[in-house]
Amino acid sequence: MSDLKLRVKEMIIERLKLEGLAPDQIEDQAPLFGDGLGLDSIDALELVLGIEQVFGVKIEDEAAGMKAFKSVQALTDFIAEHAKA
Amino acid sequence: MDILAHLPHRAPLLLVDRLLEREPGLRVVAEKLVTAGEPFFQGHPAGRAQVPGPLLLEMLAQAGGFLEAGTLHGASIFLAGVRDARFHAPAFPGDRLRLEVAAEGAFAGLMRLQGTASCEGRDLCTATLLVKRL
Repeated sequence: MSDLKLRVKEMIIERLKLEGLAPDQIEDQAPLFGDGLGLDSIDALELVLGIEQVFGVKIEDEAAGMKAFKSVQALTDFIAEHAKA
Repeated sequence: MDILAHLPHRAPLLLVDRLLEREPGLRVVAEKLVTAGEPFFQGHPAGRAQVPGPLLLEMLAQAGGFLEAGTLHGASIFLAGVRDARFHAPAFPGDRLRLEVAAEGAFAGLMRLQGTASCEGRDLCTATLLVKRL
């Protein structure tokens, strides 16, 4: 697992208080919302704020959120693409 | 700032009396003077009335309504979540409550606020609120 992907999974577990879940139990391609981790709109806001604080990346609107929250892999790619060098 | 023009709530549900500071989108400080005649004091043991804790959260949520730049008439505001609520001390009849809310962020119509209700410099209630405009 890439270092960034691991940090993304750790951030998700910490911010959403998914205690008892280990990073390797979150599938890279599983959708974060709906059938995957089953997150809701409050979780989405918590993730948006967590991503901004931990990685310095802003998710500006719902369109960007739709793209970034498709899966852990998509979120990791989104952060890698937008993080300041 | 005209409270009635901004918030759709009316007595006895309206729980904000006055605005002290307001920076839309960022921070609001409001005030509620708790009088002995408040309907929510009915039914408490004689001489031991206190503001029910959930109403302190409602006061903070209503103060949070002033973070919105425009009037909330015609809108419906939904309290979507309360996290880490702590009630440090009770609020009594006669207390002048300072209701301070700060916006922490927003996404997809949902806003997270940090709220503190205090009286004479003493924190009575602190909580994180999630508010959604429907």
